[in-house]
Amino acid sequence: MLDAASYFEQVKQALPGDAEARAQALHKAEALGLPTRRLEHWHYTDLARLLKKPAQENAALVATDFSALNPSQVRFEGGVMQASDDAGLADWPALSPTAAEHASDAMVLYNQALAQAGVVLELPEGGQKTLLVTTQGSAPQHLSHHISLARGAELILIDDNMASGYSNVAWDIELAEDSKLTFVHLQQAGRQVATSTVRLAENATLTRLNLLSGQDMARHAGTIALQAAGARAELHSAILGTDAAHNDVTYVIDHQAADTQSNTTSYHALAGQARGVFQGKVIVQRDAQRVDALMQARAMMLSDGPEMDAKPELEIYADDVQCAHGTAIGEIDADALFFLRARGLDEATARQFLITGFIEQVLDACDHEPLVASLRAHIETKIATVLGQGSAS
Amino acid sequence: MSSLLEINNLQASVGDKPILKGLSLSIQPGEVHAIMGPNGSGKSTLSYVLSGKDGYDIGGGSMHLDGQDLADMEPEERAIAGMFLAFQYPLEIPGVTNMTFLKASLNAVRRGRGEDEIDAAQFLRLAREKARALGVDDEMLKRPLNVGFSGGEKKRNEILQMAVLEPRLAILDETDSGLDIDALKTVAEGVNALRAPERGLLLITHYQRLLDFVKPDVVHVMANGRIVKSGGPELALELEASGYADYIDEAVHA
Repeated sequence: MLDAASYFEQVKQALPGDAEARAQALHKAEALGLPTRRLEHWHYTDLARLLKKPAQENAALVATDFSALNPSQVRFEGGVMQASDDAGLADWPALSPTAAEHASDAMVLYNQALAQAGVVLELPEGGQKTLLVTTQGSAPQHLSHHISLARGAELILIDDNMASGYSNVAWDIELAEDSKLTFVHLQQAGRQVATSTVRLAENATLTRLNLLSGQDMARHAGTIALQAAGARAELHSAILGTDAAHNDVTYVIDHQAADTQSNTTSYHALAGQARGVFQGKVIVQRDAQRVDALMQARAMMLSDGPEMDAKPELEIYADDVQCAHGTAIGEIDADALFFLRARGLDEATARQFLITGFIEQVLDACDHEPLVASLRAHIETKIATVLGQGSAS
Repeated sequence: MSSLLEINNLQASVGDKPILKGLSLSIQPGEVHAIMGPNGSGKSTLSYVLSGKDGYDIGGGSMHLDGQDLADMEPEERAIAGMFLAFQYPLEIPGVTNMTFLKASLNAVRRGRGEDEIDAAQFLRLAREKARALGVDDEMLKRPLNVGFSGGEKKRNEILQMAVLEPRLAILDETDSGLDIDALKTVAEGVNALRAPERGLLLITHYQRLLDFVKPDVVHVMANGRIVKSGGPELALELEASGYADYIDEAVHA
């Protein structure tokens, strides 16, 4: 990845679509260079420096059981689709020649230059689906996914990342009137930059749950555009950061229309020398009255080593709105710990309870019981695996 | 040493500030004791020191439960030995359901006591039965522990934990505070149901009110870090009439 140009030379024969447009995107990306702290949106994640660090070993991966949801499945390895049992997916598109002209984010441009596969799903009016996307392997991956939901369609999309290498993933998502997307993102390994763009039409609902627990690096940036009344975004992230993990969740939530809602939370539990980042910017445009926007970043520091950077922002141009944001960073509550121990739980178990409880608040916004049960099991196994190894104490 | 709880000349401080200044108390199996006293007399400190909370220096004296020296035991070891503290301000624990917590707690205590763990189905029956008696419905059992519970719900939930864990000695720290009369009656009924020949209860309270519903065998007045007077239930009524002023002066000038 570091030498994208020679990588491009290597793989360009195999890349589908418009080679010239790809070359342009690459040229533009190279001119911008890898993001550094000088860019406001990358202030706490110096990607150019982080990618030079040796890859981190990952704790045992936890396979998550989604069988109760009976999903269609697609699997990627090394940036290539390996298997799919979903006949409803469309062909992966050739790159649109105009796309690169509008992109100003180097990572999106690299993705446009180098992506060779992705999910293309157009769910028709009233359609319902559950899709599980898994990534595996250690080779670099560039994936570009395109999802669109027609009026009233409902999709549960689970993006389960277990690939150990570098990946650059882009999601472009369009939600039509009354459609509903539940988008779960699990990352347990690897160094990943994921950039998503979601546009919501009238009464469309996005529920996004990020569960990040890798020991290397994750940067999850999302731009959410609430374009018509009744559109609602629930954006919730839980991060279990141990060792030298670097996890960055960055959102821009753009309330373009009146009567739109967003609720954004993040729960970082950090140990070792881990670093956690949350950036969230709520924008309320001039005519977007009666917007309801909440943003809350919380962090639980499990030892003296970790660092948390939280930067919630509000940019409000309308006058009749309800917006609030807050940040709380603390340790495990000593009184709560005593309460649990006074009921017979040993200290390690009591701590694990409090950490699990803290993290599982990420599921509060999800009302799909089988999904919640799967994710709860994932969280509990992951915490027991990672903290059981003593890296948290 | 046949007492259930035996406290002898106990001294405890927080930093440089002495709070318990030579407190002695002994509770026999089956007895209900009440400790009354003004704010700042050390009542809550006593409950925390007995249950093993960090932050208190034990300067002298001793405390034994069933002949076991509590001083060097962790809070969870004391719970396993049969100590239970109903908290004045029960903690809210988001993300952990009441049911999950109760089961983990019961099994931790059972393991510690060398008993078999209880399975999920047995536990559900047990918890529902005990909960019903306290007016704790299924919805409350499924909710995160104490999160969004009213004051009365939190206190009933404490008594539910006590009913499930079946302690040897239960300390109820101002369990009556913040309860309206109906909630107080429900809690008192729950407490009375747990009176048993082998169990001891220590009620820490400010007011006579709770003692109208849970009749104590012995009433103690605590002031300035020690027990300054002990007597029968009539002592509580006397205090209600005349207040604590006499005892505060007595303790300070002693």
